[in-house]
Amino acid sequence: MEQKLRQEAKALLEHKKVDWIIGFAPGSLKFTATPLITNDKDDTERLVINPFMVNNLADFLTGLEGRVGIVAKGCDSRSIISLIQDNKLAREDVVILAVPCPGLIDLAKVERLVGKYRDELDDISRDGDKVTVTADGQKKEFTASQVLFDHCLACELPTPQEYDILLSEPRPPAPELETSGQNKAKLKETPPAERWRFWKNELSRCIRCYACRNVCPACFCQRCFVEETEPQWLMPIPRWQDNLNFQIIRNIHVAGRCTDCGECERVCPVNIPLRSLTREMYDIVGELFKFKSGMDREAQPLMVHYEQEEAEDSFR
Amino acid sequence: MTQQPEWEPKLLGFLCRWCSYAGADLAGTSRKKYPANIRIIKVPCSGRVDSLFIIKALRLGFDGVLVSGCHPGDCHYLTGNYRARRRIAVTKKFLEYLGVEPERLQASWVSASEGGKFAEVVSDVTDGLKGVGPNRLFSESKLDGTEAKAGS
Repeated sequence: MEQKLRQEAKALLEHKKVDWIIGFAPGSLKFTATPLITNDKDDTERLVINPFMVNNLADFLTGLEGRVGIVAKGCDSRSIISLIQDNKLAREDVVILAVPCPGLIDLAKVERLVGKYRDELDDISRDGDKVTVTADGQKKEFTASQVLFDHCLACELPTPQEYDILLSEPRPPAPELETSGQNKAKLKETPPAERWRFWKNELSRCIRCYACRNVCPACFCQRCFVEETEPQWLMPIPRWQDNLNFQIIRNIHVAGRCTDCGECERVCPVNIPLRSLTREMYDIVGELFKFKSGMDREAQPLMVHYEQEEAEDSFR
Repeated sequence: MTQQPEWEPKLLGFLCRWCSYAGADLAGTSRKKYPANIRIIKVPCSGRVDSLFIIKALRLGFDGVLVSGCHPGDCHYLTGNYRARRRIAVTKKFLEYLGVEPERLQASWVSASEGGKFAEVVSDVTDGLKGVGPNRLFSESKLDGTEAKAGS
């Protein structure tokens, strides 16, 4: 698959079919991959495909001029489609190199299971549903659902629906919603006051680094409401009230664009379970409007479209 | 010592200028009685109401927010209230999930000829808010909070 990707990417650049290639190169640390944005055809030799290519590359699309070839997992492709729906991108300007994705390995989960930091591990290899972790010469075996990201377990689209070049056999979706939605389900059972306290506690850790916003392909506003000063919607100081409001508004603003790719939770430096927010919004939108973001290129964006009869029970 | 007055909820209303605001006017001119708990902000259309307004109002200590616009199909700008409907529905559900009492965000369709309905809606919403008590969502104190603190 990697070989095919490199050939295709090189050919695209050589034949001037695209100006840029966005993909993954080996990271500088163990078990990482780093985004690679290049217009140099020799760079394509560095492209990799592995279970650690966590970033959602669609985030880089809006910043580039010209035609772009992009390596896309299922989740990335949904973000790309969502950008196309919103007219941030033209379908002709992007060449999607589709990677059928078996799910990405969450190093934090591996660390917790093995009890060692990631740099103390020697090897992580995956064979089908089995993941083998080697540390100090000892091998430990886990099932995929133990070590994959929660959002990968909930994945509804491992193979991009919309693509130009498919790099291997498509994978059928097999979402494990129960395992992936445990935190949210537990939270939903608690009384409202308790839930508010939960989020208050979680968000009191927030340092307002805005990593969640910057990494989000759905957050593409030129000027974000948090930086507005007239009127000033939020105080910039990291106080829990403002932190929580920031997350509430951010989630409402990306409703119908958020594809539950889980990037915000992954990048959070203080481990706030943001996916329990985004997933709820994803579910609300699905339940109320039967809308799944990034699934259908022809669909109207959620918030600019309407039906004559819908969602009336919120109104008197 | 002055006597502690009975707590009254503070309600912020975003009324569309074409229907609900005129409806409120009619409620006044036809001398309908409704609670004075509502403070009204006139907006060009219910579609103008961003969720930011709602959250900010709660953050500033309002006990509840009422968004009111023209009935579906009657929007002066044709589609504004349909969009408001989607936005409000999503906001309401999401706030509920976070643990905000559903009574705090209310929405209604009130046309310019429905002064009576406007009075009814405001009384209902105010009663609902009296049921859930003062907004202490964003206050620092956990136990005591007779006074809803204004933020920022």
